[in-house]
Amino acid sequence: MAVGTHGSAGELPRSASGVGISCRSVSAGYLGTTVLRDISFAIDEPAIYVVLGPNGAGKTTLFRTLAGILRPSQGEVRIGGEPVDRQASRNHLHYLSHMDGIPDGLRVREALQFYARVERATSTDVERVLDLLEIRDLGGNYLSQLSAGQKKRVSIARVFLRERAIYLLDEPTSNLDPKLAREIRTLILDLSREKVVLYSSHNLFEAREIGRYVLAIRAGRLALFDRIENLRGSHFVVGVRVLEPSEALAGYAREGDYFLRELSGPDQVPALLRDLESRGVKIREIREMGNPLEDLFT
Amino acid sequence: MVSPLTVERPPSLLSATIRRSIVVGRIYLLFGIGYLLVFGIVTGLASGPAFGSLITLFLPVFAVVGALGGMMVFTNDRLKGVFEYLIAYGISPRRLFANVLVATLVLVSIVLGVSLTVGLGVYLARGNTISAGLATDLVVYSVPMSYASAAFAATVGMFWTSLSSPRSGMNSPVGLMPIIGIAPSLVTIGGIGAAATVGVSPLPVVICAVAVLAGVVLLMLRQVGRLMPLERLLSPA
Repeated sequence: MAVGTHGSAGELPRSASGVGISCRSVSAGYLGTTVLRDISFAIDEPAIYVVLGPNGAGKTTLFRTLAGILRPSQGEVRIGGEPVDRQASRNHLHYLSHMDGIPDGLRVREALQFYARVERATSTDVERVLDLLEIRDLGGNYLSQLSAGQKKRVSIARVFLRERAIYLLDEPTSNLDPKLAREIRTLILDLSREKVVLYSSHNLFEAREIGRYVLAIRAGRLALFDRIENLRGSHFVVGVRVLEPSEALAGYAREGDYFLRELSGPDQVPALLRDLESRGVKIREIREMGNPLEDLFT
Repeated sequence: MVSPLTVERPPSLLSATIRRSIVVGRIYLLFGIGYLLVFGIVTGLASGPAFGSLITLFLPVFAVVGALGGMMVFTNDRLKGVFEYLIAYGISPRRLFANVLVATLVLVSIVLGVSLTVGLGVYLARGNTISAGLATDLVVYSVPMSYASAAFAATVGMFWTSLSSPRSGMNSPVGLMPIIGIAPSLVTIGGIGAAATVGVSPLPVVICAVAVLAGVVLLMLRQVGRLMPLERLLSPA
C-alpha cells in the first residue's frame, strides 16, 4: 500500500519482495541545520516514485536519509520493518547519489569490480553490466579519461550489478544524452515492475513518462504524494500547429509554430478540435503545452 | 525477488584502498623514494658519518611525503561521493579511516624498504660496515618515527579534511600534510638534543615520542564514530 501524508492512494498490490520504506515524522539536516521537516510516508508497491522539487527543497537530503547515510534528528526510517541503520536494511537498498561516486585510481572494469565487491556481486555480473550499459570498450580506460556522460554510465552500471528490493536513484539521467537517458529509463521501468524505485529528476516530462507516483518536496516538507495521473495543472494549455494560416486563429497567442489556447482540462480538447475544423482550420498537430508537474515547482 | 536470509557483512576494501593509494599518490611515492635514494646513495658513496646522520634524520620526513597517496584517496572519496556510496552499503566511517591509515603505513613501508635497501647496499658496497650506533639509530628512531609521523599526519589530515570545507592546492590538508608530518620529528629531535645536554639517553625520549604519536592516532581512530557525524563524510557538492 502506498500512503501519503495527503491522503491514501487506495489499496494497491504489495511489492514482490514485500520490502517497503516507511518514513515516520522524519526531520533531518546537516550539522544542526534542519532541511527536511516532519516527512511521513510509507510505500511498498512496486513502481517508480518520482521525487520532485525545486533546487534546495531537500530531495538529496531525503535520499541520503532514506539510504541511512544521514541520521534523522527526529523520526525514524524503516526498510522492510527494520531501522535503516541495520545491515539487514542496507542489504535491501541500492543508492545512487547525484554525484558519480566513482573511486579514483581505477580503470572502468576495476571500478566495477570494486563495486561488485561492495555489492557481493560476481565477475559475471561485471561482464553483464559492461554490455548492458555499453561500456565494454571503456573497460581499460582510467576514470579520469572519461567524459561526464561516460562516468555517469559507469556510475549507473553499479545499480544493475545485483538486484535489490529498493532503488534510491538521485538524478540518474543527468549528464546523459537523450538516447542513453531513454535507454536508462527503459531499464529502470523494467526494474520497477518488481521493485520500489524512488527517482529524483528535474525533467518534468521524464517524470511524467515513467513515474506512477509523485512525491513533491517543497521547503523541506512533503507537499504532495499522489498518483501522477491524478495531478491537474492550474491551467491546461494546448498548442495547435496548422498546415496553412487561418483567420480563425487570429486571436490566439503564439509560441513558435503553435497557436495557444487555454482550456479548463483535457476533456475540452475534442470540442476545440471540432470548432476549429468547422471553421476551416487544417490542423497538423495538437499537443499539450507545459506540464502539470510544473506547478510543483512554483 | 530480494529477501536476504542472512545479513551480508560489508567487505573491508583494504586491499583496494592500498592499491588506489599507490596509483593516486604514485608521484609522491616516487618523490619520497627518489629523495631518499639521492641522500642514501650520495652519502653512502661519501661514506663516513654523513650517511648515518643524514639518512637517520631524513627518513621520517620523506616517508611522510611518499605516503601522501592515502590522504589523497581519502580527500577524493569524500569529495566525489564515494564515502556516501560505501556508507549506504554499511561500511563504517571507522573502517574508512582505518583503511586509509593502513594504506599510509604500507606506503611508508615501500619508501623505507626501497630507500634503505638501496642506500645501505651502496653504503656496504663501499666497504663500510653497519655500526651498532647506526643500527640503533635506524631501528630505534628512524623506522618507528617514520611510521608514527606518517600515521599521525594522515589521521590529523583525515579529521581536518572531514571537519573543514574543501580547499585545494597547498592550502588543503593534503598540501599541509608534509608540514604536519615533520612536526613530530622536529619536536623529538629537540627532545633528544635537550636530553643529551643533561646526559640522558635519547632512547626514552624516542620511545616516548613514538608512544605518544601512536596513542594519539589510536585514540582519534577509536573516536571516529563519536566525533565524526556522518554528514561530515558526505560531499558538500
